[in-house]
Amino acid sequence: MKTTPAWILWFFTILIFLLSTRNPSYILFIIIGLFFVSFRLFKQKGRDNWIKQNLIFLSSIILASSAINSLFTHSGRTILFSFPQSWPLIGGIVTLESLVYGAINGLIISALFLLFNVLNLALSIKQLTRLIPRAFYPIAMIVTISLTFFPSINQRIREIREAQMIRGNPMKKISDWLPVLAPLLVSSLEKGLILSESMTSRGFFTSKPSHKTTFPVITMIIGAFSIFSGWILSLYSYSAYIYLPLYILGVTMIFLVLNRLGKAVKTTRYHQEELRKYDMLAIVIIILVILFLSLVSIYGNLTSLNYTPYPSLVFPNIELAPFLIPLLTLLPIMLNHHDKN
Amino acid sequence: MKSRFFRLTIDLFVLLLGSLSLLAPFIFPKTTSPMVSQSSFPIMVSLIIILCLLILFIEAQTSLLDSKMIAFMGILIATNASLRFLENAIPGPGAISPVFFLIIISGYYFGSRIGFLMGVMTMFVSGLLTGGVGPWLPGQMISAGWVGQFSALLRPAIKKLNWQGKFGEIILLGIHGAIWGILYGVIMNLWYWPFIGALPGQGWLNDARLAINLQRYGVYYLSTSLLWDITRAVGNIVILVALTKPVLRIFDRFNRRFTFQFGFERER
Repeated sequence: MKTTPAWILWFFTILIFLLSTRNPSYILFIIIGLFFVSFRLFKQKGRDNWIKQNLIFLSSIILASSAINSLFTHSGRTILFSFPQSWPLIGGIVTLESLVYGAINGLIISALFLLFNVLNLALSIKQLTRLIPRAFYPIAMIVTISLTFFPSINQRIREIREAQMIRGNPMKKISDWLPVLAPLLVSSLEKGLILSESMTSRGFFTSKPSHKTTFPVITMIIGAFSIFSGWILSLYSYSAYIYLPLYILGVTMIFLVLNRLGKAVKTTRYHQEELRKYDMLAIVIIILVILFLSLVSIYGNLTSLNYTPYPSLVFPNIELAPFLIPLLTLLPIMLNHHDKN
Repeated sequence: MKSRFFRLTIDLFVLLLGSLSLLAPFIFPKTTSPMVSQSSFPIMVSLIIILCLLILFIEAQTSLLDSKMIAFMGILIATNASLRFLENAIPGPGAISPVFFLIIISGYYFGSRIGFLMGVMTMFVSGLLTGGVGPWLPGQMISAGWVGQFSALLRPAIKKLNWQGKFGEIILLGIHGAIWGILYGVIMNLWYWPFIGALPGQGWLNDARLAINLQRYGVYYLSTSLLWDITRAVGNIVILVALTKPVLRIFDRFNRRFTFQFGFERER
């Protein structure tokens, strides 16, 4: 699995699943799967350090979350020990159920954190930049210029700093940094000036776009407000018949505006990503899994997603259909094994 | 005049929607859904913030950005992202960051749009460079954008007081930097605070009055972030006092060179 569409589809499928389940078995399997994927993605040195750092961070989140929940939530039947009732807030029973509930919260945060980390590992900066919609072409151009000039500006900082230290600048006070910042800014802006002249002489974006912004901006505002209203209504447990149309309306309006603005931008295709055989296969597999799970959730009952350890702890149930998502986490490894090119 | 009013309306809408989504736990506390305390809450807040950013991007890229501005912004953002990597080299406690300096100065000198874009894009580019793309990034982007945007408000005030080029200008910028050093932390905590299990008396309470949740958030903020944010605020003051004057002089020089108009542009 190498191309952006396959990774993004994989990422969002797991993200949405993580947001819709509280079953620790599924989440735990996803975390293990993500560690395997990151292990496979990391080819340079520093892999062991990356995994160690993530493991320390995740275990501290899970430990802190379970400790906090168990100390302050006095529900559940399996009593581990108790604090005197006179102790403010933590006074009362500490139960196994509240400990597990806190650990599940920690597991979800950890899985989300790890998922974003894996995406950062999987996609290069160039691939991430290409995710900016075509409608935001000038913004994407700013990002590309920044990323292109970043290494040379960093090199310039090093040079100026070394020159200042040779001249005896101790670089110990903030004011000692002025001789670094001022020449850095001047040389960077000179570079920007040369770049802007060469862009203008090549006819790039010489004047602001002629189309009006009023209509797209107002449509975007209405779209954003629809999604926001839908979210607030869903927080108050209104019927899905009320908030879902608002979500759909908002998403459709935003999609139409971005599509229209994107079409107005003429771009050339340079080093376009080619969707390879195994990426196509990954996309088909992920779509089939999503369709299958949607059908099962409509016609069946995916009870195992909504796990709660209260009132007394039971082992989380595992169903075959939702378990496809933790398996899907391993998809990049499975396909990379075959896709050697 | 019409376009200025339109831009102001957009700014206000984005400020309102962004603040409402961040302050949802305070404003809409009596939710019957457990969603606020679940993992989908920070993701939804991030999504709404992304939409706010998209609205401002559409407006800015058609009203503000031409080839000169694109090159100028690109280079300035790359410089600021590089400064973020200097955090460890610059003397002082960890929270001191030179990043806010250029955001504040750009907003103050070039106006609210450039200031906003400068804050938003600096966070985005440095997020890409450090592998820091995550649900926290939209919150960082909009908070830093507001730092730059609000810096533009100082311009008319300083002009009115006739403090341009005087020490009063630096003092006012320093105070502004200190306030936003704290506010940045206050805003950044908001997107995850209702979700995270905080210590006693510090966590979000469903069905509680606004004052109670505000008080709980206050206690949470004081015990977890205030010290860090005060360091950032002090860092902002020191950096602004030390570096504002020469940097404004550099901006003066380049402003004239970047804002020239080509002959065929005038004809249009």
